[in-house]
Amino acid sequence: MNNLKIAVLIVLAVFLSACAPKQMYYWGNYSQSLYDAKKNPTEQSILTHQQSLENIIQESQKNNLRVPPGVYAELGYVYFRQNKKALAIQNFNMERRLYPESALLMDRLVNASELADKPKPSESIDLKNLNDKNK
Amino acid sequence: MNNASIGKMKSCLLLGVAALLCFFLSACAPKMITKGEKYPLMYEEHPASILILPPMNESTAADAKDYYATTIQEPLSFWGYYVFPYEITTELLKMEGIYDAELMKDLPLQKFREYFGADSVLFTTIKVWNLSYMVIAANLTVSVDCELKSTKSNATLWQYNGTVVVDLSGGNAGGGGIAGLIASAIVTAVNAAMADYVPHARRANLMALRSLPYGKYHHLYGKDQSQQFQEQFRR
Repeated sequence: MNNLKIAVLIVLAVFLSACAPKQMYYWGNYSQSLYDAKKNPTEQSILTHQQSLENIIQESQKNNLRVPPGVYAELGYVYFRQNKKALAIQNFNMERRLYPESALLMDRLVNASELADKPKPSESIDLKNLNDKNK
Repeated sequence: MNNASIGKMKSCLLLGVAALLCFFLSACAPKMITKGEKYPLMYEEHPASILILPPMNESTAADAKDYYATTIQEPLSFWGYYVFPYEITTELLKMEGIYDAELMKDLPLQKFREYFGADSVLFTTIKVWNLSYMVIAANLTVSVDCELKSTKSNATLWQYNGTVVVDLSGGNAGGGGIAGLIASAIVTAVNAAMADYVPHARRANLMALRSLPYGKYHHLYGKDQSQQFQEQFRR
């Protein structure tokens, strides 16, 4: 009797896993936490959004899914603003590797991070002028 | 009855059904068109990446713009496109002094290819984002025009409008009579106060995107020319 139950379960599991279309991306709580951070930009809501970005990456890796476009980059940008330049560069490079379409923009951001990393009297980063420095 | 008369009856019936169907379809069915017919440029240019520009706001709600912008990146990715991180690209555009897509309408879109490496840019226009009150009822409407333009040719690759109208009157609460009217007026007021546009904006997006050909990360990429959708006529 028990064997039968197990067999049925196995058949069901196989059947369901075969039929269910594999979800393309895991976006988690992204648009909700982004909306909250826009609507009420507090330290907490901004941190929550950062956590939802980190969570998307973890869950995607766990489930063997491609991290959705822009997530590595956005997290990199969060680190960039927190002055964690090495982490920022690491994430920009992940985005670039995963999505070659992002190469130009990611290179720009990596350059900006590297420039900003050099000791300067002011830590403000001028992305606007980066364009000229690249030439 | 012999076989011949049964056959005759059958064909008469078939004709009748066919005539009815024709009548029904021509009268009621919205005009359907395929993606390949409507958006041939999408299949010629094969844009792989989309840069979402800040929405243009023609509605009366000043905050609609920021909120709407949080809803579009995610669904576009599911359509198989590389979608540039909106939070970054808008910051960069601001540094260039560009806050409004209105300002970009006249720019050569080639600039976005040079600066971001984008194959296409998405212009969105919020047409309606409001509540309309009708004494004892309220409707919430979100309507958004989407237009995808090529950064190679400046041509419009895809264009569609998503509109969602939601009845917030909360059904027939309270039954009939004056008491019922008052009760349902209260329900309407409460629902309206809590009205959150964002979930409806998401639905409007999904409605619009239904007609968008799939991009390179989608398994139906390049295979969806014959998919049908409801054709819209510009107002």
